[in-house]
Amino acid sequence: MTENTLEIKNLRHSFNTDIEVLKNINLNVSRGEIVSILGPSGCGKTTLLRIIAGLEKQTGGTVNINETIVSDSKSFVPTEKRGIGLVVQERALFPHLTIIKNVAFGLKGKKDEKYKIALDLLKLFKVDGYANNYPHEISSGEQQRVAIARAMAPNPKILLMDEPFGALDHALKSELRDETKKIFKDNGTTAIIVSHDFDDAISMSDHVLIIDDGLVAQEGSAKDLIPITRKNSFKIA
Amino acid sequence: MSYKNFFDPWIILPTILFAIFVVPVVWIISSLFGEYSDNWTHIYNYTLSNYIYNTIFIIIGTSIGTLIIGVGSAWLVTTYNFTGKNILEWALLLPFAVPPYILAYTFTGLFDSYGTANNLIRDIFSLPHEFIFFPKLRNVYGASIVFSFTLYPYVYLVSRMAFINQSRSIMEVGRTLGFSKFKVFYKIGIPSIRPAIIAGLMLVLMETISDFGAVEHFSVNTFTTGIFSTWFGLYDFHTAKQLAALLLIVVITFLVLEKYSRRKNRYSSGSNVFGPIVAEKLRGSKNFFASLFCMLPVFVGFVLPNIQLAYWALNYKLEFFNEKFITTAWNTFYLAIITAIICALLAVIINFSIRYKKNKILNILSSFLTVGYAVPGLILALGVSQLLVFMDNLLFREYLDFVLTGSLVGLVLAFIIKSFALANSTIESGFLRINTRLDDVARTTNTSGWKLLTQIHLPLLTTSFLTSMILVVSEVIKELPASLILRPFNYDTLAISTYIYAAEERMFDAAAPSIAIVGVGLLPIIILSRLTVKSRPGYRNNDSHYQSY
Repeated sequence: MTENTLEIKNLRHSFNTDIEVLKNINLNVSRGEIVSILGPSGCGKTTLLRIIAGLEKQTGGTVNINETIVSDSKSFVPTEKRGIGLVVQERALFPHLTIIKNVAFGLKGKKDEKYKIALDLLKLFKVDGYANNYPHEISSGEQQRVAIARAMAPNPKILLMDEPFGALDHALKSELRDETKKIFKDNGTTAIIVSHDFDDAISMSDHVLIIDDGLVAQEGSAKDLIPITRKNSFKIA
Repeated sequence: MSYKNFFDPWIILPTILFAIFVVPVVWIISSLFGEYSDNWTHIYNYTLSNYIYNTIFIIIGTSIGTLIIGVGSAWLVTTYNFTGKNILEWALLLPFAVPPYILAYTFTGLFDSYGTANNLIRDIFSLPHEFIFFPKLRNVYGASIVFSFTLYPYVYLVSRMAFINQSRSIMEVGRTLGFSKFKVFYKIGIPSIRPAIIAGLMLVLMETISDFGAVEHFSVNTFTTGIFSTWFGLYDFHTAKQLAALLLIVVITFLVLEKYSRRKNRYSSGSNVFGPIVAEKLRGSKNFFASLFCMLPVFVGFVLPNIQLAYWALNYKLEFFNEKFITTAWNTFYLAIITAIICALLAVIINFSIRYKKNKILNILSSFLTVGYAVPGLILALGVSQLLVFMDNLLFREYLDFVLTGSLVGLVLAFIIKSFALANSTIESGFLRINTRLDDVARTTNTSGWKLLTQIHLPLLTTSFLTSMILVVSEVIKELPASLILRPFNYDTLAISTYIYAAEERMFDAAAPSIAIVGVGLLPIIILSRLTVKSRPGYRNNDSHYQSY
């Protein structure tokens, strides 16, 4: 049996109301696995990601990372202590820092060492030529590469990606997805991708979780899910 | 975050600050529940009605003056194109730089029986020495005129913002219903921005009743002069506090009305779906009168006093930068910069705490901290004096000495309470422009609160930080009553110098510090006029890329 990097048990969440946005979610993610969470807008997928990141505290249930409880009714490990990376659709690059400083931001140690790691990652994502540029000086596709590189830099236990390719055009999206998947697999990165785009999930992930109305509607390997989801046109009963 | 840690420094610091801000005000109000001395009975029987009558008269006079000038000029510059409009649009803010007491000093220099203006009239028309053309200004009428011409920019600013954001279609519907242009103005234009006008007017009235310098110079007895003379004439600190408490209740009423109107304004400010108002070109006499109407307040509130100040300064044989002036200016800027840095830092810490901790109590505390601007400087001076005496007794009793009382601590503290809101509003909007996703990403990379603040937020807040400092500096430099009471012995500031020289009728000497005060007061106006232009619908902000990631 492979070791679970992330384990979520009976997770529930509601925002100051009686309406639960997440109802009894269970999820296991193995080391090096890429998992996609799919679902329509407002289904609770981003909330699930924020709970894993520690940016939100769930109403009930347990979140374990590397066999350690990071959040349950009694304990809560803050975001900065969880060892996770985050990539968001808006990219959220620090506008006042150069590309290399953005990537090196979360690293500890001597400046030279930090910059070396950052530059290696930028090379991996083919954006090392912009190391000394500012975020607004590069294209949106390049910004997204930098954002992923920055999240990978501290070598997180899990990389969380919220609609990472949402703002890109179709051709660029497809290219970046393939490249990112290859880099993740080569590095053994564990990643959870939240998306509403079916193609993102199929092309990137080993395992897909479909959430609707706060519940896991379907779950399985990307291959297995294709016929079901295509036939149902993403409408989950 | 739902978990709470009350020993967290990000929560403790704003709470302590709240206590320091609130204690002086609570002390003042609590005096109403104490004993009433013979002095109080005397004031109640003989002078209180005079204070109330004068204050109400000035409130009414100033309201009428500021509304006519402020709303009228805002409507003209927003709705019409006329000669000089592009300059007048921002020049109408210039009187903001002239504190009421400086306008009062220059007005007496100009319009007193043997002032510059009356002398000029007599010389031009070869009239006898006893002929007096301009009526006396040292009365409630003069005070109302002074406040109207220095404080109307509050009403002008909010009205103009509201008119700019008003939907053109509302006006066009009015015209199609058969209303004339003027009728559209007072039947539709004004009522639709009424909450904004009331909010601006309340700010004017808070400033009016807080003023000490102008009414004192005009020998008009109001609450502030009453408090001052009770404290320093009758040496009755307790009765002075009781008078201050009454004034504070009036101020709080205005403050509540201002907040209420502002909230209402949020819902009533028109949509701009159908485009903003398109200015119409005026010709002939209409063009002339529109220009005249907008030029007059700029001339009276800014140009005229500055001409008088320049005349005095030049007659002083240009001995402008003497040693005394330089020392006073240094004292003032030193104080202002210290206060500005502290205010801006506190505003950053508090806004960061709210953002980082997502704590509702902190949010409520912070909104209380911003009401300090409404507390008249004189009342703050009373409250802070008592706080310092209390602290001295508590901490330094065994030395039988006053350590904090009479030091710069009290002055800086009063300035911080008074000008924190200015710093806070700028820093708060600076924080709102920083995408919260930046915080989320930074926190996932094991970033502490301190690193997030110093390496991400502070660099992005540089402009807001400097803007807030400029606003505080200009406020501190103008502040008179708090400086006058709380200053250390022999420690003069520009405002105090101006006051003392004016009181001794040494107007030539008062010119230099007055010009310095007006000069610094111009800085926030430049910022304000830039912000107003940016707020215009359709304005393209070239810096927007900086905030959008």
